[in-house]
Amino acid sequence: MHAIEFDKLSKVFQGKKKVTVNALNSLSLQVDQGEVFGFLGPNGAGKSTSIKILLGLIGSTAGTARIMGVDVTEKTARSQVGFLPENPSFYDFLTGEEYLRFVGKSFNMSAADISVRGSEVLNRLDLWEARKRPIRGYSKGMVQRLGLAQTLIHDPAVYVLDEPMSGLDPIGRALVKDIIRELKERGKTVFFSTHITADVEAVCDRVGVINKGVLLAVDTVSGVLERGVEGYTVRLFKPDGASEECVVAKADLQDFIEKSIAQRCSIERVEPKRKDMEAFFLEMVSPKQTS
Amino acid sequence: MLNTVAVNLRAIFRDRVFHGIVVVALLFLLIPSVSSLSMRQVTELSITLALSLLSLILLLLSISLGATSLWKDIERRYTYSVLSLPLSRSAYLVGKFVAVALFLLLATLVLGAVACCMIWLASGIYPADRPIVWMNLVLCIAADLLKYVMLVAYAFLFSTVSTSFFLPIFGTISVFLAGNASQQAYDYVHSPLATTLSPVVKQAASVLYYLLPNFSAFNLRINAIYGIPLSMKAVVLPLMYFCIYTTLLVILATVIFTRREMK
Repeated sequence: MHAIEFDKLSKVFQGKKKVTVNALNSLSLQVDQGEVFGFLGPNGAGKSTSIKILLGLIGSTAGTARIMGVDVTEKTARSQVGFLPENPSFYDFLTGEEYLRFVGKSFNMSAADISVRGSEVLNRLDLWEARKRPIRGYSKGMVQRLGLAQTLIHDPAVYVLDEPMSGLDPIGRALVKDIIRELKERGKTVFFSTHITADVEAVCDRVGVINKGVLLAVDTVSGVLERGVEGYTVRLFKPDGASEECVVAKADLQDFIEKSIAQRCSIERVEPKRKDMEAFFLEMVSPKQTS
Repeated sequence: MLNTVAVNLRAIFRDRVFHGIVVVALLFLLIPSVSSLSMRQVTELSITLALSLLSLILLLLSISLGATSLWKDIERRYTYSVLSLPLSRSAYLVGKFVAVALFLLLATLVLGAVACCMIWLASGIYPADRPIVWMNLVLCIAADLLKYVMLVAYAFLFSTVSTSFFLPIFGTISVFLAGNASQQAYDYVHSPLATTLSPVVKQAASVLYYLLPNFSAFNLRINAIYGIPLSMKAVVLPLMYFCIYTTLLVILATVIFTRREMK
């Protein structure tokens, strides 16, 4: 059973003056349990639309979506999910602690569990000191961290995070990445959307690239990075002691090393020169531009 | 759903509207002295003033809470975080409605008690010719409460189809005005005075009469002010009308809201 499954999912929005917008076009995608999946795409690509359908906030025009095998039109599908919306907004008349209690009760947690887990996540997200303050007094970063705390409180199997790093300072971003890595170690599934390629490279197992409602590619992050090796930078010392740095094509590396050794050069370093996730992403979403 | 009711009640108590209502409620204290300006019907005037002030406060609460409760959640994007919890849309909507209705009940109990105290004070200073029938007064206040809960159901219905506060607020005010006039309009259209009206207009008036709420059914003020006995029918029929009409409105609102897209 897949943790998340989209099956030929389409969404057409009816605009004013009968203008239609194809926000999603037959999206099919499976995310395995225990996997960290990055959903990469530029603004308006269809990431949030996919997530909104997944959480039952909007309906699909065609196709289905399932969470842990349960159709997302059933409210029980959401009982195994922790969801962080993009630019989250929570009942700001409540304190952080009260909001977590509200969320915990919604997931039928006992008062004792809410208290224990609440303390844990508030401490983990560095919100313990602010727990009794109304959310309306929180900074943007604090609201984002509270958003993450409310996804963690009931310890779900699946996490759906819509732009989880947005609005966070470098410390906050590092914290979120750490939490995602911890979740992965505990066998949880994390599906997160972003347009920041470095975030995907840092924490994801697989990546899907979406643009204009069409899923362009799905691949493992390691596969993308390995395939992206274009050549090598070789640093060597010549017999006269001078150092030199050479860029060598991938196919020529073996010959180059043999020749260098024959010329009694000592090789100090061989570094792969690769395209990063950003280059892969740009190649996918705007191939003409990159070529 | 209880969780939703509780959190929405908390929202109301922490809202500025609640504090405003508390200030307006201080006007009840002026009732005995203002009533004394009437030299003959001090008790009757105190009852009239108390019921009118209570009704005004409930109207303001119904419109301000009923018409903005759902709209605020959508406008401030609370719905994204709340509706993504394992909570059905119907439980969310009904929970919000129940919270507003409960708050109206609470406000009615407190302000009704204050109103009764003021009436008792006024009647003690200037005894009325007819004794106050306290049960009539209580039933009159209860009927008023039912009327405003029904109005809140309309406000919720408008909120489910609207993307701004305009329709919920002005739609609710329009329903309030129409609901208070529907019985009189119906009576006029079907009276001998309306012979010049075309049958089409009469038919349209009849259809509107059955569609729009009839708030006159909840008006027991004459019985409360003058201690006129109330029949069982005058109490039970409005109660049944309230139950059926409000249930239908809430069901309709729930059906619409369940299909609404949270874009």
